[in-house]
Amino acid sequence: MSTEAKDIQIDPRGYRFGASVTLVVSIVALVLGANTAGIVAMGVLALLFLPGATIGPQATLQSWLFRRFIRPRIGAPAETESFRPPRFAQQMGLGFSLLAVLFGVLEIALGFYIFTGFVVAASFLNSVFGFCLGCEIYLLAKRATTRAA
Amino acid sequence: MLIRVLALAVLLGAVALGYRWWQGRQGTVRRVERPGALTASTLGDQPGERATFVQFSTPMCAKCPPTATLLKRVAAEQPHVSHIEIDAAERLDLARELHIMRTPTTLVLDAYGVVVARMDGAPSEQQAREALAAVPPPTEYSI
Repeated sequence: MSTEAKDIQIDPRGYRFGASVTLVVSIVALVLGANTAGIVAMGVLALLFLPGATIGPQATLQSWLFRRFIRPRIGAPAETESFRPPRFAQQMGLGFSLLAVLFGVLEIALGFYIFTGFVVAASFLNSVFGFCLGCEIYLLAKRATTRAA
Repeated sequence: MLIRVLALAVLLGAVALGYRWWQGRQGTVRRVERPGALTASTLGDQPGERATFVQFSTPMCAKCPPTATLLKRVAAEQPHVSHIEIDAAERLDLARELHIMRTPTTLVLDAYGVVVARMDGAPSEQQAREALAAVPPPTEYSI
């Protein structure tokens, strides 16, 4: 991942808009509960995460909506950011959403609520405070998963 | 339904409180007493003759590039102060040894390469200057 040469700069406001879409969908899922409706909501969310987790956050439907309807009204961004940190966060989001769906299908309600709750918490931090939890966790995850030399 | 709405409110409240606590710690300058010096070969770059900012970053860190710009500017204000950026994900050995838990984390080295201060999280300009002030002033030599 870090060996990729080409960096893409994205508008951080678009990514934050995407996080608010995630927040709304995951809150709907949490309130609907661990039943068919809630599982479908998390499944839709996983689909929304998929392009962001594989290509990058600039490839998502949320990003398209932002570019099409919001950016023309608010103008060019004052600063841009690398697409890599948010893409890593989208991979985490995809993983958690899929786990929520999996636990939901297996009728393990607690697992559904835990992973949906993670998505709610992370997207809340990102949309309201502009704080990327996935990016903060990256080093800890790397430290935990790589063996000491 | 009601209990899930209440649980949601509690979750969001707890996350917001946790965030405020975490941000309050962001960039705070802590004095460090750590025996031993970090050498150029460990760091992979030549440290400054008077002081050095050693910034740990990762490619996934959004706050790291602006922090590097800030620290380079503060370092350039004084003679013989340099800035070294290390990819913590590549140098996991150093990250473990120096207990780097988040990025950016910046260590301040004195003229001998001894860690005298650290800032976990992105510092403000004032915090960067405060950290640099932890380095004792250069000794006056008279011949």
